[in-house]
Amino acid sequence: MLEDLRLRVRSLFHRKAVENDLNDELRFHFEQQVEKLVQSGLPPAEARRQARLAIGTQDEIREEYRDSSGVRFLETLLQDIRFALRMMRKSPGFTAVAILTLALGIGANTAIFSVVDWLILRLPPVAKAEQITTLEAELLSGYYNNGFSYPAFEDIRRQSTAVFSDVAGAMDFQMDGLSIDGNNQPIWTSYVSGNFFQMMGLKPVLGSFIEPTPGKSVDDEPVLVLGYTFWKTHLGGDSRVIGKSVLINGHPVTIIGVAPKGFHGIASLMDVQGYLPLGMGIVTSDAKKDLVVDRKPPVLAIFARLKPRLTAKSVQPVLNVIAQRLSTQYPATDKCKSLFANPLDLFSPGTDPSTSGTLRLVSAVFLILAGLVLILACLNVASLLIARSSAREREMAVRAAVGAGRVRLIRQLLTESLLLALLGCAGGVVLGLLASRSLGSINLNTTIPFVLDFQFDWRVFADAFCVALFTAAVVGIAPALRATRRNLNNLLHERGRTATVARQRTRSALVVVQVGGSLMLLIVAGLFVRSLRNVEHANLGFDPSHVLNFTIDAHEAGYNEVQARDFFQNLLSCVHALPGIETASLAATTPMSYFSFGEELAIEGYQPPSNQQAPAAGYNAVSPGYFETMRIPILSGRGFLDSDSPTSPHVAVINKVMAERYWHGQNPIGRHFANTADPKNPIEVVGVTADSTTTDITSPSAPFVYLPLAQHLQNQTPVTLQLRTSLPLATANREVVDMIHSLSPAMPVSDVQTMIEAIDTLHGPMLFQIAAGLAASLGILGLALAIIGVYGVVSYGASQRTHEIGIRMALGAQRVQILKMIFGQGFFIVSGGTLLGVLAAAAIARLVGNFLVGVSPLDAITYLGAVFILTTVALLACYIPARRAMKVDPMVALRYE
Amino acid sequence: MGNRQPRDLFPGALEMMILRTLKRQPLHGYALVQRIKRDSDDLLQIEEGSLYPALQRLLKEGCVEAAWGVSSTNRRVRIYKLTRTGAKYLERQVSSFEQMLEGIARVLSPVKS
Repeated sequence: MLEDLRLRVRSLFHRKAVENDLNDELRFHFEQQVEKLVQSGLPPAEARRQARLAIGTQDEIREEYRDSSGVRFLETLLQDIRFALRMMRKSPGFTAVAILTLALGIGANTAIFSVVDWLILRLPPVAKAEQITTLEAELLSGYYNNGFSYPAFEDIRRQSTAVFSDVAGAMDFQMDGLSIDGNNQPIWTSYVSGNFFQMMGLKPVLGSFIEPTPGKSVDDEPVLVLGYTFWKTHLGGDSRVIGKSVLINGHPVTIIGVAPKGFHGIASLMDVQGYLPLGMGIVTSDAKKDLVVDRKPPVLAIFARLKPRLTAKSVQPVLNVIAQRLSTQYPATDKCKSLFANPLDLFSPGTDPSTSGTLRLVSAVFLILAGLVLILACLNVASLLIARSSAREREMAVRAAVGAGRVRLIRQLLTESLLLALLGCAGGVVLGLLASRSLGSINLNTTIPFVLDFQFDWRVFADAFCVALFTAAVVGIAPALRATRRNLNNLLHERGRTATVARQRTRSALVVVQVGGSLMLLIVAGLFVRSLRNVEHANLGFDPSHVLNFTIDAHEAGYNEVQARDFFQNLLSCVHALPGIETASLAATTPMSYFSFGEELAIEGYQPPSNQQAPAAGYNAVSPGYFETMRIPILSGRGFLDSDSPTSPHVAVINKVMAERYWHGQNPIGRHFANTADPKNPIEVVGVTADSTTTDITSPSAPFVYLPLAQHLQNQTPVTLQLRTSLPLATANREVVDMIHSLSPAMPVSDVQTMIEAIDTLHGPMLFQIAAGLAASLGILGLALAIIGVYGVVSYGASQRTHEIGIRMALGAQRVQILKMIFGQGFFIVSGGTLLGVLAAAAIARLVGNFLVGVSPLDAITYLGAVFILTTVALLACYIPARRAMKVDPMVALRYE
Repeated sequence: MGNRQPRDLFPGALEMMILRTLKRQPLHGYALVQRIKRDSDDLLQIEEGSLYPALQRLLKEGCVEAAWGVSSTNRRVRIYKLTRTGAKYLERQVSSFEQMLEGIARVLSPVKS
């Protein structure tokens, strides 16, 4: 086999040498023969003649010889490719359109695929990722929770050894202050149990990992493992950092290793920059000292590795037993219906199964839309090829007449379309790479290290390659069969009009489908764009214009709670003193940011209906002046005052939804509620505000509580300084940052941005911008493809009828009649396509309906607008061939052929 | 990609004869033709048009190997030599051929009464 290949390749490249060898051999043979004949008494001339007769023509032998050396196949392939390239050069317009069309179709698909791959398909790069599960508890309220207390983690770990080979825990992603050689910078860390890396089966790129310490996982080993990206970008990939002593929130730790490249931690939307032992998180945080024994706070995510041959489903009975045991043993804290082990793929896009469901649906929609673009591209190229194959009928007929077999002709045509497809594929990969790179560089308006890792991996390439091959086969085979099927005589002797008409009809049908598909894409794009407009013009309930944000982290600068409170007090008075500042305030979080807080509440005088979950509310801790800065109207009662201090009674301002839901029309001012985690600390309602958007732009207003920052500072770091100013933003930015640093030179200031930028997050309009952008790109692509299709088929139809048009004009037809004739065909295509497109859009709009805001999936304006745009553009595309047809000179047309 | 020339011999016979002849000693193409002709007492005439493609096929299958050498008349000639693969192949072919011959002989032999 190999020898065979070697010989083939050799004979291909050394064809000259091989032929020379053969010639030598044959000449020798011939001369020997002649000599023998001469010896037997023949005159030399006669001897030569006879020898030649006996041996036969050397050409024939050479042909045979080539056949048996296998030169033929490759040689004809090269011939085919050379010929195909020549054909492509001969019609550069056709070639460019076909390749570009395929490249756009394939590019859109690879780009979307790389996103879907990252969101859904790709598992984190850990050993046997399919064995790793994440645990989740179903609460009595019907809610799911994937946070567990430390003691619960230890219990589960001990009781599940029969089904899990290892169980590891990781604390929430959080921001710490890292001080290296006196430089402070924020670092996003995850506190993990000692066996975390071992359980994931990872190897450090440098140094070592946190040691698994069996039986004692909360240890106080002060070590830090860096994330790969952080090590590369913030520390220049310096290997000397191993063994270095640094400070985390003021506590000395030693850097011991670097996590492998591509491992971003398990919450896969984030890039964890550092890993600390679980024990560190407990000793360095004042509030978390009792975490080791406290069964209440759900601080740990639990990851478990299934024993070989077990599945997440098959371990359910064991988990049920554990859940049962925990519920009876600790009914106050660990009462839950059951425990589940979820495969990591369900988990990877976010901790919430509902999020991953949405992501799946969004991904499916965009894959369908991109797939549609590809189908349209294929249809386009197919109809171009059909048009061309009829133009090449004669060529095919002549080639068949001189003895080319049908297989040979089909092979030639397939080579051509395969070449087109491969070039289209190459272009598509380039476009896809550019597109996914630009998607990956979307600015998420935050210093949180999100991972947008749309890498071009082998699967994406395999996908593109398969699509290209599929395209070549689909696009190439039909015209090839068609072009070679024709009766030779028919073709050589007359034009075979009936067949041409039938072909033109097939082509028109293809273009009708194409126009329909394009219209559908346009309508979907329109729906997304209108949603985006609605989102952007939504009444937020606060006024983000002229507000500037500065995020500062006193904890990171090494301040304790008392020092931080003093610092913030001082800061606010200094900022107020700056010229041009209307109001300034502090808040723990900003609306639609990546941070939000929520608690279960116990409300005085409110008994939740049985079998319903406990009342809950989102909350934000804010300083006096917040409602003025944000321009959230206070409906009754008061806002916060400087007198709401840690020592004064705890107070809250609630929103209208909360007042109506829990106090049904009674006056909520003066009533109390408490956090169920802290029931002995009642909070008095002192004011009610209008509703405003808090966590998510699309969610309906939900109960929300504002707490005084001074009374809740210990949990609230970092803090955002917000100010309303009429100053130019750049000036205000510089002045305020300078002022913060004059108060505290080492204070980290991050996320300096306008409020409008700050709310442009994944919870704000950003997802809609991305979706609308993607949908609009696909829609425009579809429109372009439809124009090419309509133009192609109409202008081809017109050129086929040049003869007929000539006769008509010679017989006195008016130009308008010719125009009507040409437009008639275009009109048929466009109206058929419109009908098809509207129906298809109505069908798919149900699917996208969930992501639309303020727009019905059957929104008449969008549908009419899209139909109008498409019809106008498509009829314009008909105008060019129609004009050309009107200019036909009857004499020339009649002489044609 | 077989030999499209009509052949008088059954398929494989030419190859068998080439291998059999080369088994005795390595030869060049012309000598092969002469040798087969002589050994068959002029009954078999090998066509050159079949010989060289057949040799090429045998080369490809590794049944023979070829080396350029110099003839007694000081000409550049390609000498073909039987390989071990070729020898085994020949053995198999001959034994199945003999079986076939025996079968044919029995069928064709006069009917015993």
